[in-house]
Amino acid sequence: MIVRPVRTADLPALIDLARTTGAGLTTLPANEERLAHRVGWAEKTFTGKAERADADYLFVLENDAGQVVGISAVAGAVGLREPWYNYRVGLTVCASQELKIHRQIPTLFLANDLTGNSELCSLFLRSDHRTGLNGRLLSKARLLFIAEFRESFGDKVIAEMRGMSDEQGRSPFWESLGRHFFKMEFSQADYLTGVGNKAFIAELMPKFPLYTCFLSEDARNIIGRVHPDTEPALAMLKGEGFSYQGYVDIFDAGPAIEAETAKIRAVRDSQALVLAIGTPGDDATSFLIHNRKREDCRITVGAARLAAGTLVVDPLTAKRLQLSVGDQVRAVPLSARG
Amino acid sequence: MLVMRPAQMADLSEVQRLAADSPVGVTSLPDDADRLRDKIAASDASLAAEVSFNGEESYFFVLEDSDSGHLLGCSGIVASAGYSEPFYSFRNETFVHNSRELKIHNKIHVLSLCHDLTGNSLLTSFYVERPLVGSVWSELNSRARLLFVANHPERFADAVVVEIVGHSDEHGDSPFWDAVGRNFFDMNYAEAERLCGLKSRTFLAELMPHYPIYVPLLPDAAQEAMGQVHPRAQVTFDILMREGFETDHYIDIFDGGPTLHARTSGIRSIAQSRVVPVRIGEPIKGGRPYLVSNGLLQDFRAIVADLDWVPGKPVTLSLEAAEALGVGEGASVRLVAV
Repeated sequence: MIVRPVRTADLPALIDLARTTGAGLTTLPANEERLAHRVGWAEKTFTGKAERADADYLFVLENDAGQVVGISAVAGAVGLREPWYNYRVGLTVCASQELKIHRQIPTLFLANDLTGNSELCSLFLRSDHRTGLNGRLLSKARLLFIAEFRESFGDKVIAEMRGMSDEQGRSPFWESLGRHFFKMEFSQADYLTGVGNKAFIAELMPKFPLYTCFLSEDARNIIGRVHPDTEPALAMLKGEGFSYQGYVDIFDAGPAIEAETAKIRAVRDSQALVLAIGTPGDDATSFLIHNRKREDCRITVGAARLAAGTLVVDPLTAKRLQLSVGDQVRAVPLSARG
Repeated sequence: MLVMRPAQMADLSEVQRLAADSPVGVTSLPDDADRLRDKIAASDASLAAEVSFNGEESYFFVLEDSDSGHLLGCSGIVASAGYSEPFYSFRNETFVHNSRELKIHNKIHVLSLCHDLTGNSLLTSFYVERPLVGSVWSELNSRARLLFVANHPERFADAVVVEIVGHSDEHGDSPFWDAVGRNFFDMNYAEAERLCGLKSRTFLAELMPHYPIYVPLLPDAAQEAMGQVHPRAQVTFDILMREGFETDHYIDIFDGGPTLHARTSGIRSIAQSRVVPVRIGEPIKGGRPYLVSNGLLQDFRAIVADLDWVPGKPVTLSLEAAEALGVGEGASVRLVAV
């Protein structure tokens, strides 16, 4: 398995993938024209022809047979072209000592606070490949890429996690709030943002802060909570240093988690090393390894061991990276615990 | 004969009897001897003061059966709403959320806490005993105030407002309060209104959070209660609507009852009343009922009399009516048809 930049030739495989994602993944709509456009931008991005505001680092996960089985992406910056909206979950206190009243009312403030940060997005792995280290490789490869090309990314990285919805894709938060203002199904609103039509949000959203006491109990209870399917992804990113700081998605109230780029584990702990090919041996641990290239970026996971400034990997791992002995790599243990 | 006159301190116990029977929500009539004493004293002082423009004054009138000395009703006017403490209302605003591209055009109603009605004169404290509801006497009880305003325009503002008690059920619960205020105060409507009467409405209003409230997020029962009139307030509502007051723009922040407003000069009893010289005599039978007031301050009196009056001519009053008004031959009175 390797992670590499997307290419135009991947388009048919991407469309197949997009059709299986269901509601909730706003950045991978099953729209051929939009996907083709997106792949075009990704190619420009990897060749350095896109400004950070437009940069869309779209990666694919490819198995050894050359099939595309997953995707993940990083946006160079959110909100620099079109406004980026979140609700900040703040607090209103209603208190009078004389009346012995003290009420705390979580209050949603429409905010563009996360503007300018880089964003992890569009993660999708085909269900028959959700095994072993594939998910971690696909997600964390992005962090290693950020570590290598630090100047291409913001000081903070965010990730919007899918919020709670039921089996029919109905979001209690949307039913209690968005529906009143958008007069459409959650899935349609989700699709519209996915295809980049964000102007309608500004046109239709409530602009004043919202006291959550006016939302249904179901809606209140899921603010900042992720969909059960997204729990593993949340845990993984938390392990990398991401945390919830009170920003949620305006449609489904899923948490937008964030981390200072320099403090992300995979960024902070990654090292530039020289590649050695041999037998990693019994002490070997899983390393996330990047060939330090941009356009021809290849990132994989392999058993490896550190030895005097070199990273010792087996020949298959080197082949996956398309590297030879003595080439430069950037590597970090796949997980914090090694 | 029933006569409207300024309240005096000797009326206190009778006034408290009326206050005790007035519906929850008429916070200007607290069943509280101290507050009522203050109210009568303030009215006394206001009538005694030389006033050239509306300020802190308030006027309080009672409807007395001059035969028995019993009081059957009362009403008041505050010269300037919000003079000593802020006067809060919800302004009913409309925002259009429009997306041309999605062909969505939503009218969204929002309630904004405001002080718009500050400085307007305020009709308050209306109460008539139930047998009088719908009679000419309830007209007298309400509109005598307006004749008083017509006689002393320098004492009042250019606009007059009145808060009508909103809908609450037989248990004293208000659906509007339950959906809005209760979230912030954690007490039921009757308790809140009781506190308002004792501590002032402003005291509670200031605890009310200040961001606008999106009406579509409120439960249906609360939306329906907006602008709805309490059955026992229907009499005063109907009288004032016939006087040319307008509704729809403002509602009460606690129970959602309508706050009516009118230009002072456009109020029917003010615009259409006439000052005419008095003759004492035997009124011709088969006249129609008129509200008649003398133009005095501390000795202000108003009654209902059946008159056969021709515009431009003096009016003939019975001796009894003239005595009730404290006017003699050659004096003038202000009158308007009931």
